[in-house]
Amino acid sequence: MGILKLLWSYNALIVLLLSGFMCITQTKISRSMGARSFLEQVPALPLPALESFLLTLFSLALMMTLGWIYRNSIHIKARWRLLVFLAEIGSCVLLMRSINLSYDGIVLLVVADLMDRYGGKHQEYILVAAMLGLYFISNYNLAVFQMKVVPFEAYIAYYDSAAQAALLAARNVFISVNIALFVIYMVLLVKGKHEEKERIRLLNEQLGEANKRLRAYAIEAERMAETRERNRLAREIHDTLGHALTGIVAGLDACILTMDAAPDFTKKQLGKIRETAQRGITDVRRSVKKLRPDDLEKLPFREALVRMTEEFASSSGMKINFTVVGWPERLREDQEEVIYRVVQEGITNANRHGRAKNVNLTIGSSEGRLRIIIADDGTGCEDVKQGFGLRHMKERLELLHGTLNFWNDAGFIVEAEIPMNQEEHL
Amino acid sequence: MEAAEKSRRRLFLAVAGIALLLFAAGAYYLKGQERVLRVGIFVGSNWEVPHGNNYAVIDAAIREFREDYPGIRVEYVSGIKKEDYAEWLAEQMMGRKEPDVFFVLSDDFNLYASMGALMDLSDFMEKDRDFDAGNYYRAALDYGKYEGRSYALPCESVPALMFVNKTLLAQEGIPMPKNDWTWKEFLEICRQVTRDVDGDGALDQFGCYGYTWEQAAVTNGVVLFREDGRASYFADERMESAVRFMMELRGIRKGRVVTAKDFDMGRVAFRPFSFAQYRTYKPYPWRIKKYTDFEWDCVKLPAGPSGSNTSSLDTLLVSMSARTRHPELAWRFLKKLCYDEEIQACVLQDSQGLPVRRDVVLFGKAPDIFRKQAANVEDMDMATISDVMDEAVMPPKFKSYYAALLYADTEINKIINGTIPFNNSLNKLQKEINAMLQY
Repeated sequence: MGILKLLWSYNALIVLLLSGFMCITQTKISRSMGARSFLEQVPALPLPALESFLLTLFSLALMMTLGWIYRNSIHIKARWRLLVFLAEIGSCVLLMRSINLSYDGIVLLVVADLMDRYGGKHQEYILVAAMLGLYFISNYNLAVFQMKVVPFEAYIAYYDSAAQAALLAARNVFISVNIALFVIYMVLLVKGKHEEKERIRLLNEQLGEANKRLRAYAIEAERMAETRERNRLAREIHDTLGHALTGIVAGLDACILTMDAAPDFTKKQLGKIRETAQRGITDVRRSVKKLRPDDLEKLPFREALVRMTEEFASSSGMKINFTVVGWPERLREDQEEVIYRVVQEGITNANRHGRAKNVNLTIGSSEGRLRIIIADDGTGCEDVKQGFGLRHMKERLELLHGTLNFWNDAGFIVEAEIPMNQEEHL
Repeated sequence: MEAAEKSRRRLFLAVAGIALLLFAAGAYYLKGQERVLRVGIFVGSNWEVPHGNNYAVIDAAIREFREDYPGIRVEYVSGIKKEDYAEWLAEQMMGRKEPDVFFVLSDDFNLYASMGALMDLSDFMEKDRDFDAGNYYRAALDYGKYEGRSYALPCESVPALMFVNKTLLAQEGIPMPKNDWTWKEFLEICRQVTRDVDGDGALDQFGCYGYTWEQAAVTNGVVLFREDGRASYFADERMESAVRFMMELRGIRKGRVVTAKDFDMGRVAFRPFSFAQYRTYKPYPWRIKKYTDFEWDCVKLPAGPSGSNTSSLDTLLVSMSARTRHPELAWRFLKKLCYDEEIQACVLQDSQGLPVRRDVVLFGKAPDIFRKQAANVEDMDMATISDVMDEAVMPPKFKSYYAALLYADTEINKIINGTIPFNNSLNKLQKEINAMLQY
């Protein structure tokens, strides 16, 4: 950043000017027999002129180098960078000492360097700590070294009052300009950061929009899949049951006509019709089998349920507690399938609509009824609109004379009840 | 890749540059590590008296030191006058060129001690087995202390004595006062001698010249300032009686101002005299030259009702630079100059001050030297002077001391002259001085 370079060069210039001024004045004082009265005014012995100028040069070079390393150290570990930064602070203190604390603007350079590398999670705390630290350093410097440093005023006192006023004014202008430069630097820095933030916010917005559209598309796709499935079912029914039933109806019509005239033939025909019906049943079974989930085909029902919930839990990250309080002795295939679908739909809803983290799934049978309760800890739903999911569940349950209830509590709760086969209990 | 390579090369260059600078700084420091010990000294006496053999003591010290340490050269710049010495030393200090061992003027001591320019000698004094600070007169040793630490050793001291015009006293039929005399006797003699001898209606013979209220305060046991220079004790009742004594003394001469001329003409009985003046004027050629018309000698200052026959003690100090490259050698040379019995005896031989070691003053060659130089000594001998030294008090030397004293002097003189009424004026003065001392 150009302004940072400007800030550095400006400070280097001031420091060299001040140091040069003090060295020249010191030499002049010594040459004009003013050493004793000069010493009277100062609390400590000054360094010899040349030595102090060299010290200034050295500490300035050191500080600039360390600052440069700090700002440009991309491949260096954070710990080393911190060390470099601490060394920079040290050299800053040395530099201030070398110019007799007559100028403390260089502290701002350290702050600027720190701000330049600002970023990351805990940086604001580090930043605040560092700022406080610097503040203390400059004050500590004053407190500790004040007693041992030749005040700038003592050098100025060597000149006549007009020159003194001019010199003090010049120093104040130096300081003000430095602060102005620093403020400009900070403003530019903050502006840069702000623009970046704005850009990120815009990108986020776009992402949100895209997500929304994607969700709508997913719903649409589901609906289409459902329609397709329904069509397939219709085709299947048409192809199998329709076909068989049509054959049976046609055969029966023929039988009605031939029953009186040729009973033997009719009997034979009826046998054929029975075969057709039998074949129809086989076809229907085959179709229904095709519709049943794989796990229901392959595994015992309870294991299939467990496996399904586990798989869902592991794929969605949702925790599912599966509790069984009394398992019915026997379940028909259609009952199994409805239970399977209700559970599947329930936990899917808990995840999709409720964004739940935990789901308690309880299945229990009592007094001839099987009860399934799916309780999640998700957001719930203020005004429950029955989507396909709930409506389908309801429809399926009604086929088995079951009921479906749902309500909000700590999350969303779905309760399904299915009456068990009375004859089996008997 | 190329950028990284470039930045690495720049980094290397920077590190190499810093190393080079450090090396140069190191070389600069190591330059000139020869074994040369520099000494800062001024020409002339510290005691405002003519001085003949300026460098005798230091030359003797150097000679003896070279015998002990043949490999080391000891140098000093000769010809720096006392009035230029402060400036010279300040310039050397500012250029980090100050001598390893140097004389410090009283005015400079606190300044340099507070700046940390003087080496703290306390550790050297403790560690050195040949060194026993108890050999020094207390007031002399304490003069080299700043905030409880020793930053200088005394080299020679000068107490104040009372000059007595023996001829005048004899004319008036008054016996020579003894060393344990008091203000009362002092006043009595002054009253007797103060009169109009030639009968022209104006007083022309006086009791004393140049006796200050400070001397009255010291001999009455007054301590005017707290050690840290932050408070004063002008309202002390002993101070009050000192001021009343001064007023009485003034009353005797009826306010007439006594001049140095009156004294030189032999018309004044007493005048406070520093030991250095005594030493300078007492030996043969000077004694005749300076005061032709009368015989004189010295006694201790008269004691006040609450004090003793003491005086304040001026001391010439020698310090070591805190930045010396040879602290151990510098300490040995300092010890040679300020502690060695031979050299201390030389002080009495070749300078006008007194040695600061009690044993040197009392025993050894010193009493002989003294007796030889100051012929026809009656009441003054080394034992008496040693008493004065033992009882002497150290004048304060904190930074604003001279300013405070100057102010006090003006005010107290106004009280003594009766310009302002006595009543509560010392209390008021104390408050004013205390306010001054806070800055």
